[in-house]
Amino acid sequence: MAWKLDNPLYSLADDQENKATIETWQREKHGGLWESNNRLPYPVTFLIGLIIVTAFLVTKPIWGQRPSAELYAPMVELMDSPEVQQKATKEEKMAYLTERAMEIHKSAADTRLPGLLERHPISWEDLQLAAPHIREIKSANGPYGLESYTVVGDQVVLGNFEGSYRPDGLRERTQPWWDKGYTIDLLYVSYFVITMVLVCKRLPHFTQKPDMSKAVK
Amino acid sequence: MLLKYLFAKNEDIPAGSSTIFFGYSAIFWFVVGTGLGSFNAAKLAFPDFATGVELFAFGHMRQVHVLAVILGWISMAFAMTMMYMTPALGNTKLWSEKLGLWTAFNWNAGLSLGLILLWCGFTSGREYSDLIWPIDLVVIFGVLVPLGMNVWMTIAQRRTQGIYITNWFFGACIFFLIIVFLVGQSAELFNLTGLTEGYLTFWFAHNVLGLWITPVAAGIAYYTIPKLTGNPLYSHRIGHLHFWSIIAFYSTPASHHLLSAPLPEWLKSFASVEGVLILIPAVAFVANILLTMKGRWSMFVENVEIKFSVTGVLLAIPLNMQGGFQQTRAINWYVHGTGWIVAHAHLALLGMSSFLEIAAVYFGLQQVLRRKLYSLVLANFHFWFVIIGFCIYWISMTIAGLIQGAGKIYEVPYIDVVIAEHPYMIARWIGGTMVFTGNMVWLYNMYMTAREGTIVPKGRYAHEMAYER
Repeated sequence: MAWKLDNPLYSLADDQENKATIETWQREKHGGLWESNNRLPYPVTFLIGLIIVTAFLVTKPIWGQRPSAELYAPMVELMDSPEVQQKATKEEKMAYLTERAMEIHKSAADTRLPGLLERHPISWEDLQLAAPHIREIKSANGPYGLESYTVVGDQVVLGNFEGSYRPDGLRERTQPWWDKGYTIDLLYVSYFVITMVLVCKRLPHFTQKPDMSKAVK
Repeated sequence: MLLKYLFAKNEDIPAGSSTIFFGYSAIFWFVVGTGLGSFNAAKLAFPDFATGVELFAFGHMRQVHVLAVILGWISMAFAMTMMYMTPALGNTKLWSEKLGLWTAFNWNAGLSLGLILLWCGFTSGREYSDLIWPIDLVVIFGVLVPLGMNVWMTIAQRRTQGIYITNWFFGACIFFLIIVFLVGQSAELFNLTGLTEGYLTFWFAHNVLGLWITPVAAGIAYYTIPKLTGNPLYSHRIGHLHFWSIIAFYSTPASHHLLSAPLPEWLKSFASVEGVLILIPAVAFVANILLTMKGRWSMFVENVEIKFSVTGVLLAIPLNMQGGFQQTRAINWYVHGTGWIVAHAHLALLGMSSFLEIAAVYFGLQQVLRRKLYSLVLANFHFWFVIIGFCIYWISMTIAGLIQGAGKIYEVPYIDVVIAEHPYMIARWIGGTMVFTGNMVWLYNMYMTAREGTIVPKGRYAHEMAYER
């Protein structure tokens, strides 16, 4: 079981061990079956790399995330204004509010807000249901700002993301563009890739194939 | 007839007895399971069908169908293949035929009791783990532990130096399933409620699929394809990649079933990435098996076992493409809670998994009985009825799911969605009934094979003689 480290991407087992493995594969047939030692074809190797990259990109937490209360705060402030009251229909009211909210978000420090608002439109009825909660949170002046609250149906609740501890001893509740789950995933996938390289390189190199004509019938 | 061996000495029991017991039990439960499926589909297609009797209500019948298929057909077919493949791959005998027969007996008795109780309304109320806890204990200690003992001991007393890939999957997956059952059922045993119960329910449901149904089916294909084609398995090292990536990536994404639940966001993000990474074992498996077919593709047309096996392997491609991406937040919000998921579940269980098991049951029973298949025409009839019926089912439910998703998102009145999907419910019933019909033909064919199949001479394989008259 000696490890050979001079050419690790070729083989991690010494020549004697590789020879013994090939001989075993040639010698024994499992119920009439035998195995070859081919490499993973290049297109399949590429596909696996593509899968790993895709897995991270396609599940980026921004997609499908719940909207934060911060998105709708400008609308709540303006919804009782004369400009909005003068609009005849709900659709006109919302078109005006969305346009104004978008303008405000475009000048905000958080550059994600316009895109998030675009992906999370709200109806006049839902805005009316969420508005009292948003006003209440704002006036309470609590430890968390509106960006830490998410709008779930007619409820506005503290986000369930639990980030780092803040100086006041509470935890961050605003979900960042990155996420703890992703950090764990990066470690997990790295660990898997390293382990698989070790497992495969301990086998004889794929250029060394068992000669099946020598197999016991 | 096999029951007489339950009290015989182990050495007096003919080799292969437990394979036969499990094999015919599996086919029987497949007929029962798909029959119940057809009945349930009829209730969805024709709402006035079989009303007025509480026991025939959809809420009583649905989970009986699901568990008859999972624990009756699929799991017993797995046990059947383990009873003949494990010793064959170790060039040895099964550790205990008697234990195998008792396991099959306990399994049939326990499952019958469990399903009757379930039908009568004794349920834990949790999807996929619907059985009440005393029956769960029967499953764990009366079925899975004895099955595991037989497989592990047979591997331990093998007469080969190495262990073939199929036996890696068999040995490991039984161990995983025991853990999955013990942990998954703890919600009921310890009266856990709320989010914990929800998470454990889908941790169980996900892992029954990911650590039992799909990997064992893949392990079976690693035996049937090289065995029937006579080709060596394309790559031992790709087998490693498949096996270890199943363990790494299939065991972790349970919370992707609960993206809308108030679970920690990091857990859902973690699960969602892992959910896409299940494509790695899928790619490794499909590549390894299809490359093993090199030079023998004519058998895909000529040989009924290869026909079923390769179709099962090919169905793994859409299965994993769907599975990998439908659980991402970007797609899940649309398809969650719709018929799309039902279609996907049938693609896994009735598509990929069942096709691989059907091939192994065909092959194994002929091998153990030493009899040639009674009718190749009926076997081909079985194949075409099951594949066409399945495709009708899968496509119609996928379309129905997309309609339901649109209805959900655009807040279309529920009754309008029901009306819009009605034609697809009828198609679902037609497809499911075709599968049921095909399976009844299969049961008859295998019964006649045991009774009147031509005896296979020593040194020959039944499938080699399939076209000889």
